Amino acid sequence: MADVSPNAPVAPMATILVVDDDGEILGLVARFLRANAFEVLTARNGTEMAACLKGAAVDLIVLDLMLPGASGLDLCRELRRNSATPVVMLTAKGDEIDRIIGLEVGADDYLAKPFNPRELLARISAVLRRTQAGRVHPATGARRMLHFSGWQLDTLKRELTDPRGVVVDLSTGEYDLLMAFLDAPQRVLSREFLLDATRIRAPDAFDRSIDVQISRLRRKIEVEQEMIKTIRGAGYIFTPDVTRGQA
Amino acid sequence: MTEVGGPIARWRALVDGLAARTILIVLVGIGAIHLVSLWTYRHALSQQAELASDVRLADQLLGIKRAVMREPQSARESVAHDLSGGPLEAHWSRTEHATPGGPGAGHWDGLAQRLKQAAPELGDDGLIIGANRRAPDDPHLALVSMRLPDDTWLNVSIVTVTPRSVEGHGTLLSTTLMAIGAVLVSMLMVRWLTRPLSTFAEAAKTFSGSGAPVAVPEDGPRELRDLASAFNEMQRRIARLVEDRTQALAAVSHDLKTPITRLRFRAEDITDAALRSAITADLSEMERMLDQTLAYLRGERTDERMQPVDLVAILATVCADISDDGGATTLTGAGSAVISGRRLSLKRAFGNLIENAVKYGYRADVSVTEVGGTVVVAVADAGPGIRPEDRERALAPFVRLEPSRNQDTGGFGLGLTIAYAIVASHAGTLTLADGVDGGLLVTVCLPRDGGAGA
Repeated sequence: MADVSPNAPVAPMATILVVDDDGEILGLVARFLRANAFEVLTARNGTEMAACLKGAAVDLIVLDLMLPGASGLDLCRELRRNSATPVVMLTAKGDEIDRIIGLEVGADDYLAKPFNPRELLARISAVLRRTQAGRVHPATGARRMLHFSGWQLDTLKRELTDPRGVVVDLSTGEYDLLMAFLDAPQRVLSREFLLDATRIRAPDAFDRSIDVQISRLRRKIEVEQEMIKTIRGAGYIFTPDVTRGQA
Repeated sequence: MTEVGGPIARWRALVDGLAARTILIVLVGIGAIHLVSLWTYRHALSQQAELASDVRLADQLLGIKRAVMREPQSARESVAHDLSGGPLEAHWSRTEHATPGGPGAGHWDGLAQRLKQAAPELGDDGLIIGANRRAPDDPHLALVSMRLPDDTWLNVSIVTVTPRSVEGHGTLLSTTLMAIGAVLVSMLMVRWLTRPLSTFAEAAKTFSGSGAPVAVPEDGPRELRDLASAFNEMQRRIARLVEDRTQALAAVSHDLKTPITRLRFRAEDITDAALRSAITADLSEMERMLDQTLAYLRGERTDERMQPVDLVAILATVCADISDDGGATTLTGAGSAVISGRRLSLKRAFGNLIENAVKYGYRADVSVTEVGGTVVVAVADAGPGIRPEDRERALAPFVRLEPSRNQDTGGFGLGLTIAYAIVASHAGTLTLADGVDGGLLVTVCLPRDGGAGA
């Protein structure tokens, strides 16, 4: 268990291509990602992006929605025709994320400006972990859904739905916990591992007890059956089977 | 200007509406016309009656004169007596009894004229009409002296008959019916005329409520057409103005997001952890303010769709997040409450309410109950509450009830406004009241079906 850290990229020195027309942001994001052990390429528009993709193997693309010329949506759609490279979209229009998701351009995650650098890091790591594990397929929409015991988690909308079809709201910490469990079902996860998974976004924040988070998550999802089992002295285990793909 | 109880005020209240005023005008007009025409009618009628009685009188007088003339002098008095009757009393004598002049001279002269006109033969030999000596002041008693061809006189005393009154209930009834009819017709016409005005009022209310221009049909009388056209133009201009300002504010709020993002990255380079977290906290607050502004400007326009959501899960998340930041919150009541709604909007609404409670009222005690088809969420705090006269104002945008505390509590008066708008968009209600143990009690009632089946 000790070799599994949710913070570190699954493949060492993964290459990230950042596409943004704001030079300042581009530089800042690149520097931040490099400081967090990523190889970083930058592009200011679709043309530069295409050139980068030709010249190097890219593991993930951070793509700004608002670009001069072809928009991020167009570029993402274009990319999906012949590539499975995961995409994290950046948008200043946080309010319109719902609509953009509805367009199904094939992005793997969305982040609204202004975002926390650590949030970006968390999203990149999570997407890389999921795609590089080789369990998912790039087909649009297929890899965004996770199913367990009749429940459904839309990882793009970050929305959990119970077997009745009722949306159950989760806090960021609860979502991260659930994702950690869904990524490794039926495996014992230590409290340290789970704590790491939930505090990546706010390293300075007060260390709230992982047990409190677990009990909050349980109150929301264990309406009919127990899903999270406590293994005394070792940690927790998520018991239901997890499947991916459309309902 | 409150003229409570004054007669003018009471009068004004009575004829407040356009309809009442128009009816009043119609009634006064009809009344005046009727009075005038009634007077004219009755005057003409009485003239005619007088004329008719003059002719009759002349005929009678002539008849008596002819009859008496034919008789020898000895029999004349008895014939005259025989012919008397009714208002007439005839006597034969050698001298005239009537004396011209006197107080009623004008009246008698007029009568003499009319009689001569009716029967010219009467005046052939001589006709004197004068007051009766027995009652010289009574204009109704007259004495007519007619000279006969042999220079003797026939004196007829008459009671001048006033024409019978033409007053009848028929006239009054028809006048009343006509007035009622006119009032009914004028009510219908006034309604027809004022209907566009009601449309204006309705449109103005809708416009001030929703901000969306409501075009008023430009038809009807010219004045109303002009008014409608001006009104529509005004609505369009106001809407454009609001839209422009909204756009400007939204653009500024939106454009601030990029520099804040940059600052967030730059803050990562700060090695002093305390300074970094202070700056990060400031950035988060700025971000929240922008977020609230955009949420307020966006109003109803949201891309989120209605779907079944568990309100208790949302409240649990909000309470947990605030607790983690050191706020005192409790959540009691139903373990689940499913309504049709927009998750993120509802989360924002209750987030604002519960944050306000903790910020201004030191704690938030949230309870959830279900009553029939309605979910009732009560948020109670332990603060000073809001005075009843300030409650409506508290829901208005950019209103801060405690400006002095604003500096350390952040926010700028949009929290309640946004919560109220979101609850309203779910067909729910939000009310402010005093808590049982003091403090403010915010009660939100949301229909389970999101208002779809209401």
